[in-house]
Amino acid sequence: MNALELLSVAWQGILSNRLRSALTVLGILIGIASVITLLGIGQGAKEEAESQVQALGVNLIYIRPGSVGAGGISMGKGTAPTLTYDDALAIKENCKAVKEVAAQYSQSFQVQYGEKNTMTQINATEPAYTDIRNFFADRGRFFTDQEMADTARVCVIGDTVANDLIGEENPVGKQLLIRGELFDVIGVMEKKGMTQNMDMDDQIFIPLTTGYATLFGLNTISGKTVKNILAQSIDGEDWQAQFQITNLLRLRHNIQNPELDDFMVRTQMDIMQTAQSITGVFSLLLGATAGISLLVGGIGIMNIMLVSVTERTREIGVRKALGAKYGQILSQFVIEAVLISGCGGLLGICLGVSGSSFISNVADWPTVVTPSSIVLSAVVSVAIGLFFGIYPARKAAKLDPIVALRSE
Amino acid sequence: MNVIDLDDVWRIYAEGAEPVYALQGVNLTIKPGEYAAIVGTSGSGKSTLMNIIGCLDRPSKGTYLLNGIDIKNRSDDELATIRNKTVGFVFQQFNLLGSMSALKNVMLPLVYAGIPGKERKMRAELALKEVGLENRMHHRPNELSGGQQQRVAIARAIVNRPSILLADEPTGALDSTTAGEIMDLFGRLVVEGMTVIIVTHDPETAGRSNRIIKVRDGKILEDIVMGKVS
Ligand SMILES: Nc1ncnc2c1ncn2[C@@H]1O[C@H](COP(=O)(O)OP(=O)(O)OP(=O)(O)O)[C@@H](O)[C@H]1O
Ligand SMILES: [Mg+2]
Repeated sequence: MNALELLSVAWQGILSNRLRSALTVLGILIGIASVITLLGIGQGAKEEAESQVQALGVNLIYIRPGSVGAGGISMGKGTAPTLTYDDALAIKENCKAVKEVAAQYSQSFQVQYGEKNTMTQINATEPAYTDIRNFFADRGRFFTDQEMADTARVCVIGDTVANDLIGEENPVGKQLLIRGELFDVIGVMEKKGMTQNMDMDDQIFIPLTTGYATLFGLNTISGKTVKNILAQSIDGEDWQAQFQITNLLRLRHNIQNPELDDFMVRTQMDIMQTAQSITGVFSLLLGATAGISLLVGGIGIMNIMLVSVTERTREIGVRKALGAKYGQILSQFVIEAVLISGCGGLLGICLGVSGSSFISNVADWPTVVTPSSIVLSAVVSVAIGLFFGIYPARKAAKLDPIVALRSE
Repeated sequence: MNVIDLDDVWRIYAEGAEPVYALQGVNLTIKPGEYAAIVGTSGSGKSTLMNIIGCLDRPSKGTYLLNGIDIKNRSDDELATIRNKTVGFVFQQFNLLGSMSALKNVMLPLVYAGIPGKERKMRAELALKEVGLENRMHHRPNELSGGQQQRVAIARAIVNRPSILLADEPTGALDSTTAGEIMDLFGRLVVEGMTVIIVTHDPETAGRSNRIIKVRDGKILEDIVMGKVS
């Protein structure tokens, strides 16, 4: 009796109770489809998070005020005004592994152009910002070091601001009022979209010095605080840069105990790792949910196979009486279970793949179905058939022919 | 040498509240080519005896030599092979598979004998022709009369050309004409050299054999050897 014949005997068994087989297939189908879809959602979230971190900039190091309390519990990070413009200048001057530095001070203000006005984020920074964030002016240009030095009243506006305030016309050369102060528009930034929950296109860039002089109401040079400092390390020296910056700031801030740091230095790699660990947990939860539904499907197979063995006890008895060996009965039922779960797996993969792209298209949620998740699902579905089919099949194969023949 | 050699065979069903002594020390030898009829009242142990001879069941006590080989030392799989190749069994309740056509049912022993598909079909058709069912081959058992079902069961038992044919009440559901045809077939098989053992209540059927074994309460009461096969 060859494999093909075993297969056809098992197939006959499946066809002999179509509705029940179909329902069992459905159980596995739903399980596999949810595995594929949920893994796709998890993978999509992961890739999205990674690309957002990539979009933050190139070799970015992010320095912000705030303290990490004992035991790593954060306390008001980014609120305490402990970082100053002088810190930024000192980093630029002293840290060998740092290529560029851009301090930032931002605040929301009323912005007016002609009749229209809007509330938007004013981001006062330095010219190095564009290189560090990999975010450039699309029309016109970004401001220069000279304009920094001159505290020039120039601004570069985001794409959203340009559309909202100025509309179709070319904004370059126009003038707008920021908190009543007149600024020349010298450029429009390229469109970037959302990064880390912030609309990168809904902001206006001005020179940091101009910001201090006109908008933020700080006039003593030494007391210029910044919201954060962006730095760019030399390629491949991100942790050296992090080390140098940390030590320099401790020295400048007179900190002996690292637990009392009043600032945080994070590399892009750190941010990436945080994002990955969050999306990793997310994926794991999704995977576990899908796994449970798969387990339920598997138990369904076992249940149906047990019913089937009980129902077909006489058939088993007849087959054994006519010369079927233990292994032949065992294979018949195992193959039946594997066929059911394999069909469920195959259909589930189809449903899962189309379900994922449906979610991508309709719910606008990025999903990525990887070939490995498809292979995994296929293998798992067959394995489920084997695992949950073997017990009922053994039960069938071990039946005593006399007892089996007498059963009704 | 004897085909069948039972020596003080007991079969005790111990599952119930009280053990049932279905066979109590049966001694029986049957030679190749014999045509024996087992008779006895209902519940006397005829089917139990047939099951043991057919290697479907094992004695609780005593030895059974089939073709000189002790059954006790055979594994379940070896017994399956014996049932497939050496013994043909016609069950009292036919035991056809309802989901398959008559032809498929008859092909079943050949499937487990590992005979290739084409030959299998040919031989099954031939066996069905022998029992006069050549134009009912593609019907399922529930589309056949009781007598026709019985003939399918006989075709299935002889399709593998076993050396021993065991038939439990093979003519019970048949009219006298068809029963006669089946008995003629058995006669031909005996002439071919097959050992045939049947269980019957019908004195006429028993009379066509060449040996009558009377069973009562799990014991052999009488064993009458008669002349040649009719
Ligand atoms: N599995 C079993 N468990 C318990 N008792 C059994 C079992 N099988 C048979 N018996 C008992 O063994 C005895 C012999 O049964 P058996 O089937 O051999 O009778 P029989 O001679 O074939 O009867 P019939 O002519 O009605 O077919 C009966 O008393 C029956 O009740
Ligand atoms: Mg009986």
